[in-house]
Amino acid sequence: MSTGQRTDGPTRESKRSGPLVAITRWMENLGETGFAYLLLTPVFLLLGAIALYPLLRTFELSMFQNVLADPEYVGFGNYVDLFTGEADPRFPGTTTFLPEISTSGQFPFVHVGGLMRSALAVTLVFTVVSVFFETIIGFGQALVLDQDFRGRRWVRVAIIIPWAIPIVIQGMIFYLMFHPTAGFLTDYLASWGLVAPKNTLNDPSSSLLIVTVADIWKTTAFMALLILAGLQSIDRSLYDVAKVAGANRWQQFKLITFPLVLPSLGIAILFRTIDAMRIYGLIDSVSSCTAVPSLSCMVVSTFNTNRGLASAIAFVTAGIIGIAVLGVIYQQYREGF
Amino acid sequence: MATTSESASQSTDDDLGPLERWTRGVVTDPDRRSRLYRALFYVVTVFFLVTTLFPFYWLLVLALTPNGLITGGDWSVPVPVLGEVLFPTPRGFNVAAFVEVFQQVPFHLYVFNSFVLATTTTIIVLVLASLAGYVFGRLEFPGRGVLMLAVLAISYFPPAAFLIPLFDAFLGNPITVPFLGLELFSPPRLVNTPASMIMPFSALFMPLSIFILTTFYAQIPDGLEDAARVEGTTRLGALFRVIMPLSAPGVATAAVLTFISVYNEYFFSSIMSLQNEPQQWSPLVGGILSYQTQYTTDYNLMAAASIVGVLPMLILVVVAQEKIVSGLTAGALKE
Repeated sequence: MSTGQRTDGPTRESKRSGPLVAITRWMENLGETGFAYLLLTPVFLLLGAIALYPLLRTFELSMFQNVLADPEYVGFGNYVDLFTGEADPRFPGTTTFLPEISTSGQFPFVHVGGLMRSALAVTLVFTVVSVFFETIIGFGQALVLDQDFRGRRWVRVAIIIPWAIPIVIQGMIFYLMFHPTAGFLTDYLASWGLVAPKNTLNDPSSSLLIVTVADIWKTTAFMALLILAGLQSIDRSLYDVAKVAGANRWQQFKLITFPLVLPSLGIAILFRTIDAMRIYGLIDSVSSCTAVPSLSCMVVSTFNTNRGLASAIAFVTAGIIGIAVLGVIYQQYREGF
Repeated sequence: MATTSESASQSTDDDLGPLERWTRGVVTDPDRRSRLYRALFYVVTVFFLVTTLFPFYWLLVLALTPNGLITGGDWSVPVPVLGEVLFPTPRGFNVAAFVEVFQQVPFHLYVFNSFVLATTTTIIVLVLASLAGYVFGRLEFPGRGVLMLAVLAISYFPPAAFLIPLFDAFLGNPITVPFLGLELFSPPRLVNTPASMIMPFSALFMPLSIFILTTFYAQIPDGLEDAARVEGTTRLGALFRVIMPLSAPGVATAAVLTFISVYNEYFFSSIMSLQNEPQQWSPLVGGILSYQTQYTTDYNLMAAASIVGVLPMLILVVVAQEKIVSGLTAGALKE
């Protein structure tokens, strides 16, 4: 990368010839704008090759059928198939894209089994539930870490550790914890009716529950750290003022802590939402994509047989996440990028 | 500690129940109240410690228990007053499981692959993100904000949205310009090689490092860079010899976070190595999954393998927790 700068320096001032020196001199003579774009070239080449090109190409592929053998242009046909349910038989297992709408017209209009089979519904349910609990528990952890006490450093290590472990090991831990034979929790939870007693990790609602718990366990730490950063940026003298004014702890929390930590909380929730909607590895290692069909799962399990349809799902996933990304960009823009 | 509300004289009504008397005491007496907060605080802290650490304890229990006893399934422990309580404890001390982990599958090779992938990616990311961090942090040029937003936006898209064209390209199929049908060139077959993983990892994890390094590089005083330039160093020379060493904490933060991210990655790690074999550069993911798919009843080995795989991260978190905390918050909150 930085071979340019090695050849010059005071000692080699005399040997000003050769291609390397010529390049160095050319770079030094570039204006600030030119130099900036030159240095950004490798970064954007990589991002272009690994992100931008695939994204555009995915969109193109999503307009074709039978991509591998004899590509046939179908326009938005794959998307139409996806949203009308025509594509559902091409998915593995009993997975559908949208939840089946029950014909009886009774509340809640969809039955739970249908909801659990739908890629879109499973992803959204997982995202909403896990982010909700991560926010609440993360807030609690942040409040604990915000206090001064002996051993704070070690409590913080303990809280961060789940965040830092590989997804496949996180999956393995929960696989072993809820496995019908090896796990110790399965019988107990099954007697409460929370999970299926047999074949727990292949049962859609049981495994969705387990995957959600596993995700909450691992990523709450991220939420806690972001909220903690927000808490620590609060001016402590505000609390002194509040105390003098006679506010109790609940009032201090409600009137100072919460409103001031709200911006960091918002960012943290957006980040987690974006991340949760990409869920794949955890599902693949705890359960299977047929039991918990998230959107990313559907892409992976169909792309070897049906590139066009898989591309359409991938692009829809990117679109849904794009909405959340717009939220982040708006936030950054408002802060004056 | 205590609020300024006057501690009202204790109401000593004898006809109040004990709970009511206690509640009234807590409400009116600041001392008692702060003791209550203290107690609540410890209860909550212990709760968080138990919930985050218990899964690791469970791995240890499974790894030490001989496999025959795991399938037996009774994890209750007799406790004096309560009777049988559901609490798993090791049924034996079978340390041999930690040796067997490496004999059953070449687990060390998988871990080695992970280290190679993580180290290479970290170096590439540090160099590229340094260039971008220097540009975004220290130079004024038109399009700066838009390009930063582009980096940000790209990094949030799901890997699934990139997978299909990347997989095709890494199989050696020709790259075609989207919507034009123009074939550019056929890349070499990269699946089962480190490149098929290092390239996506670098692109995915670089944006966070760019933001961290931008913040750090922007803080180096212009005078130091100018001094280096007067000495005859080029702008790039000043970046790598002056600015980067002076921002060592930021560089270390970016390095630690990138290393952890690659070591923990699942999506491309499990897909780009087609048969999940160590000779195909399959990292840790492949090693752990091969226990799940091939040795489906060796639960003690699954647990032992997980412990071995988690150790490097455990050490890294204890050593570098400050860096992790500051890096994560800087990346998200851009302080």
